[in-house]
Amino acid sequence: MVLCLRSCRHGLFSTSRRCFSSVRSHIEDKRWPGWQIIIGIEVHAQIKSRRKLFSETTVPVAGNLPNTCVSPFDAAFPGTLPRLNMQCVALATRVALALKSHIKSRSTFDRKHYFYPDLPAGYQITQHYAPFAVGGHLVLPNDAAVPVRIKQIQLEQDTAKAGMGLMEIVSEPDMRSPEEAALYVRSLQSLLRAVGASDGNMEQGSLRCDVNVSVNRPGLPPGTRCEIKNLNSVKFMMSALSSEIRRHIDILESSSSVPQETRGFSEQTFETFRLRSKEDAPDYRYMPDMNLGTLHITEAQIQNIRETMPELPDATRSRLQKQYSLHPRDVEILLALDAEKDIPFDGETAGPSSAGAVRYFETICQDHGQGVREKPRDPKVVLNWIIHELVGQLSARHETFTAQRVPSSWLAELIDMVHDNIITRTSGKSLLRHILHNPSEESPKQLAHRLDLIALRTDDQVSSAGTAPTAGDIDLAAICQATISQMPAEVVAYRAGNVNVLNKIVGHVMKTTRGRANALVVKTALQAMLDGS
Amino acid sequence: MLSRCLPTTTIRRHATLVPKAIDSSWRHAITLKNDSVNAIVHLASEDASGVLADGPLHKVAIAVKDNICTSSMPTTCSSHMLEDFRSPYNATVVRLLTEAGADLIGKTNLDEFGMGSLNTYSIHGPVVNPFQLANQNESWEMREKRAAGGSSGGSAAAVAADMCYAALGTDTGGSIRLPASYCGVTGFKPSYGLISRYGVVSFADSLDCVGVIAKTTKRVRRVAEAIMAPDPRDPTSASHTLRSNASSHSPPLSAAHLKGLRVGVPEEYFPSELDTSVITPTRRVLSALESLGATIVSVSLPSTPYALSAYYVIACAEASSNLARYDGVEYGLNVTAQRTRSGDTAMRSYAATRSQGFGAEVRKRILLGTYALRADAFDNYFQQALRVRQLVRDDFNKTFRSPDVRFMDSPSTAAPDRPDVNIIVHPTAIQPAPLIYDDVQKKGLDAYVQDVLTVPASLAGLPALSIRGGDTDGWPIGVTIVGQWGSDDMVLRVGEMVDMSLYD
Repeated sequence: MVLCLRSCRHGLFSTSRRCFSSVRSHIEDKRWPGWQIIIGIEVHAQIKSRRKLFSETTVPVAGNLPNTCVSPFDAAFPGTLPRLNMQCVALATRVALALKSHIKSRSTFDRKHYFYPDLPAGYQITQHYAPFAVGGHLVLPNDAAVPVRIKQIQLEQDTAKAGMGLMEIVSEPDMRSPEEAALYVRSLQSLLRAVGASDGNMEQGSLRCDVNVSVNRPGLPPGTRCEIKNLNSVKFMMSALSSEIRRHIDILESSSSVPQETRGFSEQTFETFRLRSKEDAPDYRYMPDMNLGTLHITEAQIQNIRETMPELPDATRSRLQKQYSLHPRDVEILLALDAEKDIPFDGETAGPSSAGAVRYFETICQDHGQGVREKPRDPKVVLNWIIHELVGQLSARHETFTAQRVPSSWLAELIDMVHDNIITRTSGKSLLRHILHNPSEESPKQLAHRLDLIALRTDDQVSSAGTAPTAGDIDLAAICQATISQMPAEVVAYRAGNVNVLNKIVGHVMKTTRGRANALVVKTALQAMLDGS
Repeated sequence: MLSRCLPTTTIRRHATLVPKAIDSSWRHAITLKNDSVNAIVHLASEDASGVLADGPLHKVAIAVKDNICTSSMPTTCSSHMLEDFRSPYNATVVRLLTEAGADLIGKTNLDEFGMGSLNTYSIHGPVVNPFQLANQNESWEMREKRAAGGSSGGSAAAVAADMCYAALGTDTGGSIRLPASYCGVTGFKPSYGLISRYGVVSFADSLDCVGVIAKTTKRVRRVAEAIMAPDPRDPTSASHTLRSNASSHSPPLSAAHLKGLRVGVPEEYFPSELDTSVITPTRRVLSALESLGATIVSVSLPSTPYALSAYYVIACAEASSNLARYDGVEYGLNVTAQRTRSGDTAMRSYAATRSQGFGAEVRKRILLGTYALRADAFDNYFQQALRVRQLVRDDFNKTFRSPDVRFMDSPSTAAPDRPDVNIIVHPTAIQPAPLIYDDVQKKGLDAYVQDVLTVPASLAGLPALSIRGGDTDGWPIGVTIVGQWGSDDMVLRVGEMVDMSLYD
C-alpha cells in the first residue's frame, strides 16, 4: 500500500530544478556573446519489451493491423486492473545502473489525470512522487568530458502508444549549448541501445525529448526557463534550441522578461511557438495508484541484473583494444557497426544470428572451428575481413551489416582457407561476393570446390603441407610449364639477365589461373623451371 | 399504492424478468416479488443453467451485483452511462462461481457505481426492502416502503426475498453490511485483498471489496470459500503466504464454545446519531458470545470520529480518478457535441457524455474528489485523509491481539494497556432501515452518516460480518463482528456460533 507520501512532496521537483551546476566556468560562445545558456533535457525512451507496461498485450510490430494489439485493460474497460511488467523494470534497472543512478528499494506509481483522445482511462500511470531511481550522471564524450547529472528515472505508460512502457530520464540543467544537448541525447541513445533497454529510434518515435532552456548573463541567476515539447530528432532539437535561445536573447535585450511557457517546435518554420503559458498549466491532480502499490526492488535483484547486464560501450572499447590489440580507429569502426544491430525484446541475449558486429568479430576470433585449429585466428585479419571485405561488399550492394547475412562460421571458414593457402586471397574475395550474390546452403569450402577456386599448388607445396593432393595440385606446375613454352621471347630475355620480365610471365600464369594461384608460389616455381633447365 | 410511495420513479418492469419456465423456488420468488422489490435487474436465461459444472456450489442459485462483470449478462452499474454495456470478459469471482457449479441467476440492483447508502440512486429505480417477520401477514401494499440500504441493496433484498441462495455484493464503505442489516440478512465484507477485484467495476480501488450476502453465516461461508483465492490478475490480491501467515495468528476455536475469545466493544461506536433501538440487538449478540464463554471488554478506537470524513475524501478522490474512463469513446453512452468553429469537439463531447451519463450523486462525488486532488488542495484533503486512515489502522492494531501481517515490517507501538481482543463487536448501522423517501434526500449529509460505523473497517481493510442481531418494531437490526486482517475464517466461525445460539 502507498503510505510513504509524507516524505515525498511534489514541491521538490520545481525547486531543485533551479539549482543548476555552477561548477562549470562560463565559456563565451561566439554566437551569443555575453549570454549563458542553460539546458536540461527530459528523454522519453520506449522500453524494448514484448509486452505493454501494465498488460499482457504484445506491443504492435510492423504489419499488425490497427486495434489488434489491445486488451480490455488497454482500452480502459471497467473492472480491469494493471499488472506491472517486470521485464520493463529489469530494463530500467539496467539503464539506472549504466547511469550510476541510485535505484530506490521502494518506488510508487501515480496517476496523472487529463482528458485526451489517446488516453482511454483518463489518466496516465507514471511515477510522480517516488520515482524508480534518482541521481547518476552521463559523461559527454567530448574533450571537456562534461558530466551531465541525472535527476531521476521514472517508469510510465506511453500514452501515445497505447500503454507501452516508457522510461523518462530527467537530466539536471547541466548543458550549455545546443551541441552539448545533442551530444547528451546521442550518448544516452547509444547507452540505451547498448544495455538493450530501448531502440532509441527517434524517427520511429521510440525516443523523444522535451528540452528546458533559459538564458542569463554569466554570473547572474538563471533566466526564466521555457520547455519545448516533443522533439523527435536531434537535428530538430538543435534547431529548436537555437531558435529559442535567439528568442530569449531578443526579449532580454529589449529589456523585457521572458514569460515561463511550454512551447512547441514547427518543422516547417524551424521556430518554436507558444503552446501554453504558466497560467494555463493544467492541474493533473496527481494521485497514488492504489492498485499497483509499492514496487520493491531488492539489492539481490539489482545485483543479478548487474551481473547479467550487457557491457557498456566504454568497457567494450577498452576491452577490444586490450584483448585483441586492435587499433583504436578500427575499434571505433567496429563499435559503430555494432550500434546498428537490432535490439532484442526484454533484454534477451540475441542469438548468434542476430548479434551485433562485436559479437560476430569475437565469435570468429575465438571459435577454433571444432578444435582443429591450434592457434586462434589473428584478430587484425578477422577485423579486416569484416570491416573491409564483408562490409565493403555489402555497402556496394546497398546493404547494411547483419550477423546472419554471412554466418560467422562461414566467414571463419573462408578466412581459414585463405590463411591455409587452400584458396588465395583474391579467390576468397570472389567467394564472399558469390555468397552474397547467390544465397545457398553450401559452405564456403564446398563452394570453393564447386567453383574451382582451390588454389593451385606445386608438388613441393603439397608434400610440405602434408595434405593429400587435390585435383588441382599438379596443374600449377603444368600451367607454368605451358606458359614458359608459350612465351619464348620473354624466356630468352629473362635468361639474358632481364629479371623484371619474370613478372610478366607470372602475370600471365595468374591470368590463366584466374587468381587461383599464389603469385609468390608461381614466381618461385617459374624461377626454378627457368633457372634449372 | 406503490406509485404513491415512490413519487419520482416507478419501478421498471423488465421483459427479461419473465423466465421461460419456472424450475426453482428461487426463480419463482423472483417472478412473484421482483416487480415490487426491484432487486433483480437482469434475469439470466435458463438455458445457461443446463450446463452447470459439477462443483461444490452445483446448482446453487447466486445473484451477482450489477457492477461485477459478466460476459453473458449486461453490467450496467445502475448507470445511464453503462445502460447498454456488456463486458467482453467475466470477473474472476464470476469465473470461480461458474467453475464451482453455481447457477448465476441474475444481476442485482445497486446505487449507481456503488455510490449510495440506500440504493435509491439507480437507473433501475430504488430497491424496496422486502423484510417481513414470519408472524406479520400485512399485505405488501399496506406496508411501509423502507430502503433496502446500499449500495448492494439489490443483493441483500434478493436474499431476504428468497430470490437466491446467496448474492455477491461489493463493499467500499459499508455497502454490503448496511443493506444486510436493513434487510435482516448476513453480509460479509472480507479482508481487503482476499477476494479478487478483477472484473469488479472500480469505485475506490483501495477500499472496494467483493463480499457475500446470504441468510446465514454458514451459507455465506460456503460461497465465500469458493471465491477467496489469490488472483494474479489483481495486483492487490493477497498471496497464499500472506493468507496463511495471517490465519496462523488466529486462535484455534472449539466447535462447542468460545472460551478464551476476547471481544472488544468500542465505546466510540455509540455516537449521538445512534438510534437507541439498535442497543438491544447488540446486547443480544454480546450475551450470546458471553454465554458461549467469550470475555467482553470495553475498548477505545479514538480515531473513529474522523473516519467518516477521511473515508469520503479518499473514496471521492479515487472515484473521480476511476470514473474518468467513462468518456463515451471506447464503450458506454456517447453524446457527440456539435462541431463548432471554436472549442474542442472532443472535450465538449466528453463533457456532454459525462453530464448526461452520470446521475446527480455520482456527479457530486466526482466533483468533490476532483476538488480534493487539486494541487493546492491535495495536502489538506487527500494527504490528510491518508493520515487519518493510518490512525484508524493504528487504533485497530493497538486493540487486536494479533498483528496486521501486511505491515509486519513496520513495528507497531505496543500500548502498555493493550486490550488484546480477538474480535470487535458493534452495531452495523445507526438505525433500522429508513423509509425510502423519508426526507433523507433533502438532508444530503444524513445519507453519509449511515456509513459512520462501517467505514473504519473499510479504511483498515478488515473483515467484517454483519449478522441479524434482532428486530425493533418489526424491522431488523444488524450487529457487526470485525477481526484483524486475514482472520476471516475466525470471524465467520464466531458468526456461525452466534447464529446457532440465537436462531437454532
